[in-house]
Amino acid sequence: MSATPSNHPTIEALLDYWLDDSDAAAIEAIDAHLMQCEPCGQALDDLVALGDGVRAAFRSGAVSAMASDAFLKRVVGRGVQVREYRLARNGSVNCTVAPEDELLVAHLETPLQGVERLDAMVTLSFEADVQHRLHDVPFDPQAGEVLWLPKFGLIRNAPAHTAEVTLLSVDAGGAHELGRYTFHHQPWPGR
Amino acid sequence: MQALGTPVDGDSPEAQAARRIAAAAPGGARDAEAELYRLLAPRARRFGLRHLRDAHAAADLMQHVMTLTIEQLRGGQMREPERVLSFVLGACRLTVMDQRRGERRREELLQRYADALPIADLQIAPRLDHARVADCLERLPERERSVLVMTFFDDQPSEAVGQQLGCSAGNVRVIRHRGIDKLRRCVDPGRRAS
Repeated sequence: MSATPSNHPTIEALLDYWLDDSDAAAIEAIDAHLMQCEPCGQALDDLVALGDGVRAAFRSGAVSAMASDAFLKRVVGRGVQVREYRLARNGSVNCTVAPEDELLVAHLETPLQGVERLDAMVTLSFEADVQHRLHDVPFDPQAGEVLWLPKFGLIRNAPAHTAEVTLLSVDAGGAHELGRYTFHHQPWPGR
Repeated sequence: MQALGTPVDGDSPEAQAARRIAAAAPGGARDAEAELYRLLAPRARRFGLRHLRDAHAAADLMQHVMTLTIEQLRGGQMREPERVLSFVLGACRLTVMDQRRGERRREELLQRYADALPIADLQIAPRLDHARVADCLERLPERERSVLVMTFFDDQPSEAVGQQLGCSAGNVRVIRHRGIDKLRRCVDPGRRAS
């Protein structure tokens, strides 16, 4: 286990400890250290609070992420109400967000074998001449799709609009378009 | 500081409070009991949160361990009061093992010692401005934000997140550490890089 010269565990070691990324000996040592060192205990409390903040921001739809189907299964397993849209390469879909929805997921299908780095470009029809470039998004090359979890808190309150997502394979030769996906959003009736 | 993992009691505030409780007539050192509770209850609760992953179970563990500790000191059953930190750590470990075995002893002890609980206002984990956290998350590179979301949604280790993203656990740990470091400094601008 990593520790500073004064033998306090590093922030990284505390995070590993909290997330069960430490071996049994390291866990035992940090358990004992935390029993006598309140500053390290408070540092751990701060990390846990930060993790709670990440979870709360995600659950409220305030942040976007690129994830995987396995992660989505975990989310559904926790009872989260998910609205999913699946788009074939260069496909489009009419979409919305219902009041009871707690997460919005777009499956963007595309072959990813051999892709070194993936970028995504997002444009929204109500933001003229603005392109949001997402650099180096995480993906599983075997998955054949990218899961985009947009900021649904923002979309829920947005007017009717069109969003376009372009996936780009990036390598030494430049950027190559993998697929373009179009979302025609309508607000939930009555909102 | 003593080597990591070796609880030292000696003349620590915890040891001093424990000695005062042991030296007094049972229940005659209320101030020392409250002081010991203030010092050690948050640590017992933290242990419970880490090993039981449930706030209510952690609160129960904290109450059980602290009442047991104070009862042992009051009754003169703790032969070395200065080793109170070791006692509490051991009690925490045993309680977690008990809970995992589904034993009922914890509840019985809670009922038995309920009237012995000192009153103390515990400082629980700090609350953060969630809007600020969201703003700081949005400033992170996509890969770091996604790894943090997938990690903290339900506190997953790096191996599980790596399997879900098609990359190694080591890679996830590097991205996670980089992301959490940036996030900490953004949420608390006065903080230095770790």
